[in-house]
Amino acid sequence: MSFDGYKTVIKEGDSVILYLTINQYYILEAKNTAVSKKGATVQNIFQTPYGPIICGDLIGKLYGTKIQLKKGWAYVLQPTPEFWTEILPHRTQIIYSTDISMILFYLELKPTSIVVESGTGSGSLSHAIIRRIKPSGHLYTFDFHETRAEVARNEFKDHGLGEYVTVQTRDVCTNGFGKEMENKADAIFLDLPQPWLAANYTTQVFKKSGGRLCSFSPCVEQVQKMCAALSNLGYQDIQTVEILQSQFSVQKKKMSVLNLNILKTQNDGKCEKSEKEYVNFITSVLPNSLPGHTGYLTSATFPPCY
Amino acid sequence: MDNIKVGDYIIVQRQNYTKLHKLRSHGTMALGSFIIEMDNVIGEKYFDTFQIKNVPNTKKNYTLEKIEDLSSISTSLNVEQSGSDNRNIEADDNNQTMSSEEINKLKDEDLSSNNILEKLISNSKTFNTKTEYSQEKYIKKKSKKYFEYIQIRKPSIRLLAQMFYRQDPAKILGIRIDYLSQILSYSNIQSEGTHIVYDSGTSGLIPAALLESIGANTCGKLIHMHPGNECQKVAFLAMEFPEEQAKRCINVNLYSVLRHYHQTETKGLKDACDRDVDKQSEENVEMKEYEELEIMETENNEQPEAKRRKLDKSNWQVDNELACKLLRDGVHSIIITAKEHPQSIVDALEPFLLPSRNLVVFSTFKEPLQELYFHLKNDLSFLAVKLTTNFMRNYQVLPDRTHPEVNMTHGGYLLTAIKVKQ
Repeated sequence: MSFDGYKTVIKEGDSVILYLTINQYYILEAKNTAVSKKGATVQNIFQTPYGPIICGDLIGKLYGTKIQLKKGWAYVLQPTPEFWTEILPHRTQIIYSTDISMILFYLELKPTSIVVESGTGSGSLSHAIIRRIKPSGHLYTFDFHETRAEVARNEFKDHGLGEYVTVQTRDVCTNGFGKEMENKADAIFLDLPQPWLAANYTTQVFKKSGGRLCSFSPCVEQVQKMCAALSNLGYQDIQTVEILQSQFSVQKKKMSVLNLNILKTQNDGKCEKSEKEYVNFITSVLPNSLPGHTGYLTSATFPPCY
Repeated sequence: MDNIKVGDYIIVQRQNYTKLHKLRSHGTMALGSFIIEMDNVIGEKYFDTFQIKNVPNTKKNYTLEKIEDLSSISTSLNVEQSGSDNRNIEADDNNQTMSSEEINKLKDEDLSSNNILEKLISNSKTFNTKTEYSQEKYIKKKSKKYFEYIQIRKPSIRLLAQMFYRQDPAKILGIRIDYLSQILSYSNIQSEGTHIVYDSGTSGLIPAALLESIGANTCGKLIHMHPGNECQKVAFLAMEFPEEQAKRCINVNLYSVLRHYHQTETKGLKDACDRDVDKQSEENVEMKEYEELEIMETENNEQPEAKRRKLDKSNWQVDNELACKLLRDGVHSIIITAKEHPQSIVDALEPFLLPSRNLVVFSTFKEPLQELYFHLKNDLSFLAVKLTTNFMRNYQVLPDRTHPEVNMTHGGYLLTAIKVKQ
C-alpha cells in the first residue's frame, strides 16, 4: 500500500524496500503472516544474505532507518517506481527508467492527465505514469493477455494505486480502444509489435484539444512504418530518438610516479628505488560492457480539432 | 481550447525553428530576416497556421494571414528529370545563375517559397543532373530558407526545453531534455510534499518543470532558491500557471533564507560558542551575497538592493518566513542545478531532506560530482549514490533512408542519492 505519496511510518501491508548494498535490495511485505507454497499460513520471514528478517517486525518502523540483521544491517526504504522497475517480477520484457523518464516527458504528463497505455506488460511504466498524474489524472491500460491484466490489476491494488488506474483486457490492434475511450485522452503510449495498427484507432481517443503520443519499438523497421502511419493520420512534430544511460563507477586511484630526474645527476647509486612517490586522484570509469540498445522512442503531437 | 489573446506567451514555430514571444497589441516580432506584425494572430486559436505576407510598399515588413485550408501548403514541386548519381556534378559557385540580389528582390516582392524555389530550380544548371534524393534534399534545404508558414503553439515544458537548448544550451545550464526528464523522475517529485530546488540560471525552466509536475489544485509546494536578487523566470511566466499553482512556488534568495532560518528561527537557543561560529560564517555569507548582488545589478541594471528591499520588504520577508516554516517540517526532494560547486549547497540543504527521500544534482562537469559522490558516501547519510551520463541521438526517419542525424550533442552528468537516518 506504500506507492501512493510520501509515507513516514511502515504500516501493515506496506511494500518495503530492504536495501543492503547498491546491488542487493529486495521488496518485501510488512505482514506478520504469509501463505506458504503448500497453502498453509506461516510466519512471514524473508531470507537475506545477512540473515533472516521477520517482516512483521518492520511495522511501526520509520522509512529510511537502519534495521539490524544477524550478520549486518540493512535500511528500509519507501518504494519508488524506479526501485519497482529494478525488482519487479518480469512477466514480459520491460521498459527501464531512462526510457520511462523520456516517455513521461514526451507525453507532457502532469497531475490531471488522462493517459492510455498499451500493453500493460509487467506494469513498469504504469507505476511511473501513475506517480506523475495522480491525484486527479487516470491511467487506462490495455493488454490482450487476460492473466497478465489480472495480475497487474491486483498489483496496482496491493500498491495502493487502484483508484488511479483501470486495467482492461483488449487487443487494441484489432479492436481499437473502445467506444467509452473516445475523446478522453491527453496522452497515448504504445509498446506493441505493430504499433501502426493501433495508431489507426488513436485519433478518436484524443480529447478535442489534441494530445501527445509516444511509441517504443526496438527495431528500425517498426519505426519507419510507425512514422509513416502517424504522418498519414495527421500527427505533427514526429520525432524519433534513442537514449541510453551509463552509470559510472567512481573510484579513488593511486598511481606511482617514477622519479627519473635523479638519473640526470651523479649519485652513489643507492636508494634509487626506495623513494617511491604516488599521486592520488578520483576518476569515473564506465563498465566494460554497456547496454547498447533498448528501443527507439517515437513521439508526435495530435493537433486539436475544432 | 483558449483563443490567443494579448499578453499571452506564444511559441512561434517555423518548420523546426521555434521562438518564444509575448504578444502585445500592435507588436512585431523578428523572425530570421523578417519583421512580422503579430496582430493577426490575436483571437485565433493555438495550432493555427499563418502565412507570412509582405506588406505592400515596404522592404522588410511582413504581416500574417491565417491559412484555412492546410492542404494548399505543399512544397512538393514537380521535378521532371533526375540523374542517377553525382558523376556529372562539379562544385561551382556559378551553378546558380540568379544573383543573391535577384533572389532577395524576389523575396521582397512576393514571399512564396514555392515560387522562389521554382525560380531557383529553373536557374540552376545542375539541378536536373542531381539524383532524386539530392533533389529532394536541395528542395528541403531551400524551402527551409524561404518557408513562409508559421504555426502558433502554446508553450509547454517540452517545447520550451527544446527551444532553449537549441538556441543556446547555456541558457538552461546545458540541461538537455533527457536530463530534465530524469531530474523529474529521480527526484520522485509528485503532487504532494515540499520540494527544494536550487537553480542558478535555467531561465526558470527547472522550477517551471517541477511546478508542472506538482500540478494545479494539489497540495505540493516548491521552494525555489536562487543566488541573486531576482530569480530568472522566463519559462515560468511562459507556462502561465494558474495563480493558485504559481503561489505554491516560493522564490527565495539562498543566502537570505538560510540566514533567516539559522538566525531568526533559533535565536537564543545556541550557546556562545555556536554563535561565534555563526557570526563568522554570516560575515562570509554576507560578503558573498553582496558580491553576488553587485554582479546581478550590473548585469540587470536593476534598483539597488537596499532600495528594493525597502519597497517590498514585507514580500521577501514573508516568503522567507513561509519557506522556513516548510523547511522545519522537512522536504521530500532536493534538486540542484547549479553553476557553483554543489558540495557546500548540498551541505547546507541536505539536513532538511527527510529520510528515504531523493537528492538529484545536475552538472555539466563530472569532477564536482565525483567529489560530491565520496562526500555523500563517507561524510553524510546517503545511499544508492549514482553518477550517470546519457547518450541521446535523434533520427531521420524516411522510407529506405533512416539513419541517425548527422549532428549530436553531449549532455552532462547527473548524481542521484537517497537520504537515510543514521
